Amino acid sequence: MLLGYALSPFGHHPDAWRQARDGRLLGFDALLDQVSAAETAGFDFVLLADRVGLRPVDDLSSVAVPFEPTLLASALATRVKRIGIVAAAVTAQHEPYNLARRFASLDLITKGRAGWMVVADGADAAREREYVDVVKTLWDSFEDDAFVYDKVAGRFFDPSKMHIAHHSRTHFSVRGPLNVNRSPQGRPVMAHLLDGGNDTLAFETGELLLLQARAAEDLVRTAGRTIKAIESAGRRREDIRILASIGPVIASAAQDMNERLELSGEDRTAQPLLATRLLGTPRMIVDQLQELKAVADLDGFTILPPTLEMGQRFVADVVPEFRQRGLINDGSDATLRDRLRLARPVHPAVSLREVSR
Amino acid sequence: MSRSRMKLGAFLMAGGHHIAAWRHPDAYAQAGSDIDHFIALAQIAERGKFDMIFIEDAAAIRERDPELASQAARSTAFEPLSLLAAIAVNTSHVGLVATASTSYTEPYGLARSFAALDQLSGGRAGWNLVTSASELEAENFAASGLRSHSQRYERAEEFADAALALWDGVEDGAYLLSNGEAFADRSRLHPVHRHGKHFSVDGILESPRSPQGRPIMVQAGASDVGKDLAARTADVVFTASQTKAEAQAYYADVRARLGKYGRGHGDLKVMPGISPIIGATEEEAKAKYRALQDLIPDAVGVALLASYLSIEDLSAYPLDGPLPEMPPTNLIQSRQQLIIDLGKREGLSIRELARHFAGARGHWQVVGTPIQIADAMEERFADGAADGFNVMAPLFPSGLEDFVTLVVPELQRRGIFREEYEGTTLRTNLGVAQPGKS
Ligand SMILES: Cc1cc2nc3c(=O)[nH]c(=O)nc-3n(C[C@H](O)[C@H](O)[C@H](O)COP(=O)(O)O)c2cc1C
Repeated sequence: MLLGYALSPFGHHPDAWRQARDGRLLGFDALLDQVSAAETAGFDFVLLADRVGLRPVDDLSSVAVPFEPTLLASALATRVKRIGIVAAAVTAQHEPYNLARRFASLDLITKGRAGWMVVADGADAAREREYVDVVKTLWDSFEDDAFVYDKVAGRFFDPSKMHIAHHSRTHFSVRGPLNVNRSPQGRPVMAHLLDGGNDTLAFETGELLLLQARAAEDLVRTAGRTIKAIESAGRRREDIRILASIGPVIASAAQDMNERLELSGEDRTAQPLLATRLLGTPRMIVDQLQELKAVADLDGFTILPPTLEMGQRFVADVVPEFRQRGLINDGSDATLRDRLRLARPVHPAVSLREVSR
Repeated sequence: MSRSRMKLGAFLMAGGHHIAAWRHPDAYAQAGSDIDHFIALAQIAERGKFDMIFIEDAAAIRERDPELASQAARSTAFEPLSLLAAIAVNTSHVGLVATASTSYTEPYGLARSFAALDQLSGGRAGWNLVTSASELEAENFAASGLRSHSQRYERAEEFADAALALWDGVEDGAYLLSNGEAFADRSRLHPVHRHGKHFSVDGILESPRSPQGRPIMVQAGASDVGKDLAARTADVVFTASQTKAEAQAYYADVRARLGKYGRGHGDLKVMPGISPIIGATEEEAKAKYRALQDLIPDAVGVALLASYLSIEDLSAYPLDGPLPEMPPTNLIQSRQQLIIDLGKREGLSIRELARHFAGARGHWQVVGTPIQIADAMEERFADGAADGFNVMAPLFPSGLEDFVTLVVPELQRRGIFREEYEGTTLRTNLGVAQPGKS
């Protein structure tokens, strides 16, 4: 079972910060502590979400991460060595060349543990599709074995294994090549948060699909629809990982959680993430997750702890239950792709050569 | 009165600044894509009490011809902000200056990224503002090609103002109030509303206020508009000069512009580049230099020179003859002039000029013992040519390691460089004023 940990300084409940009241939680060290705990527990990746656009003038709510996710990802990468790091970046806020570089660099810095959570606002589907195509083409600027570092011949890379994009279509004009070495994973993993709106881009190009719904029944329905949609986009179920977002409320604490947090109904429209709330003892929660996984044909779950305390409980009480049932991946997989059991992409030039052979 | 002290930056670059550094037998050829290499370099600089490390940038490969590109280690590099974010949490005092272009990014995203770097480092971030002068970069962003020099600077001026406004829009203590009333304190947030010719920004920066007020602004403008932008907005300027007279002229020129903007001489630190080639004896240093020079393929050296001269193909001219006459460039005018002057002054052929230039891309090269290098630096520092230096080691890590263990103690002994950091923010260590505080 695959497990993601959605990072938030206070927890994902919109009122969680009220319990915290400690500014240090917004700092790097506190965020690192959470991610280290998730890594030790055996989580496969941490998710650094982001909202679309800049903070609206009238919105004073707490947010998913206190600062820009891709740079936070880079900083975390040198301090946790196994867990994958999936960072959100909004297509409307970065030129494709800049975004491709940022994530190619991040994949080098994480040593192959980077994922891009593609945040597109859905306003112009054709533009977004072209955007993703450009980024992938730029990531293919060099073949896996392009860099030869031949000091004697003075040859840094083999020029026949460099591919200049020369992309020029409706929305973007990008010469290329990317000026970053080939990514250790071939290409960083592409993740999408499905919001039930226009998810075509995710169905056509996503590798890690993160489902969200308020109720478990909705989750089952969303998963069914997603699987149909990826298959009608001509892709195979086994080439894609589908995880559902869960907000666990672990028993004994369940009651006072409700007392402390349910009372205020703060608007959470500004929050980037939504989760299905599951209540119960650790064992009940694992039972529910296992059942949900089977019924909805999921590969795993992204955990959105409603509060920090609930995150700690999840690690301390729920994870051992997973482990007892042999559901945690304790393997020594080096890259995020390996952890997710996603195949390494074959460079298009290589597949072309194989076809013509 | 205690003598004033020079500022030092370590300009980092994969295997070294020398164009053929990666081919040197001691070089680590994979340096450019190894984060641990860069973290180690930053830690060496920090051990040497450097004010900052600096990362250059271009949003493109640097040679159009794949054959030439494939012979240069500088063809690929980390994106500077992600590189420095990783270094930030593995260092504690050294400043972190990343280059980013005003031509190919937007103010909100850039201000937010540097704010993140500032948070991650506890107030050590700096932004080297560049306007990007290459066609190859332009071609990665639009079909319309490179904007003119004046258009680039017009955009840069508006960009800088928008970024500064975003950083200044968040006061200390704006987030997470102890009274539990709201997550953010409306009275300490000042939304930005700017609708200019190039940008429209409406909103609040998604970040707490910078621990140093705002990130340090760095510029390397050499044109009139460039120097004016630096005089108006920058805390540090980088420059390339060969002779002391050139350096003094630049120094006097940018400082003379400060008054126009109500700023004093101490508000802007002028830091020219220096490429030190250090040996226990002068002979050893010279031998080191020759060993590197011998590794430069003529085609690569000439292409680099041509790119700074903005000449399409310099190899069409006899390599052992002088430079041809050429019109002023739309790209980097100052560096073109520097090369022309150098060629005339020393009577160098194209081949000789290319080799000389390839060592440090036109920056001042000093080949000698630690004492000789300290003497040369002290002289320019004392004679109104520099407030400090951007040190460009020809080879990494050895060139930086040698500088830290041999030259830094000599500068300290003379009382012209710090023994300990003054503080933990880049602003404190540079000794430039914090905005909003007097
Ligand atoms: C030490 C130094 C470092 C520089 N680094 C960069 C860089 O990383 N990227 C870039 O596009 N330009 C860089 N430049 C070029 C300057 O930003 C500037 O464009 C150039 O000096 C010409 O001045 P002008 O823009 O006013 O014409 C650098 C210049 C110097 C002296």
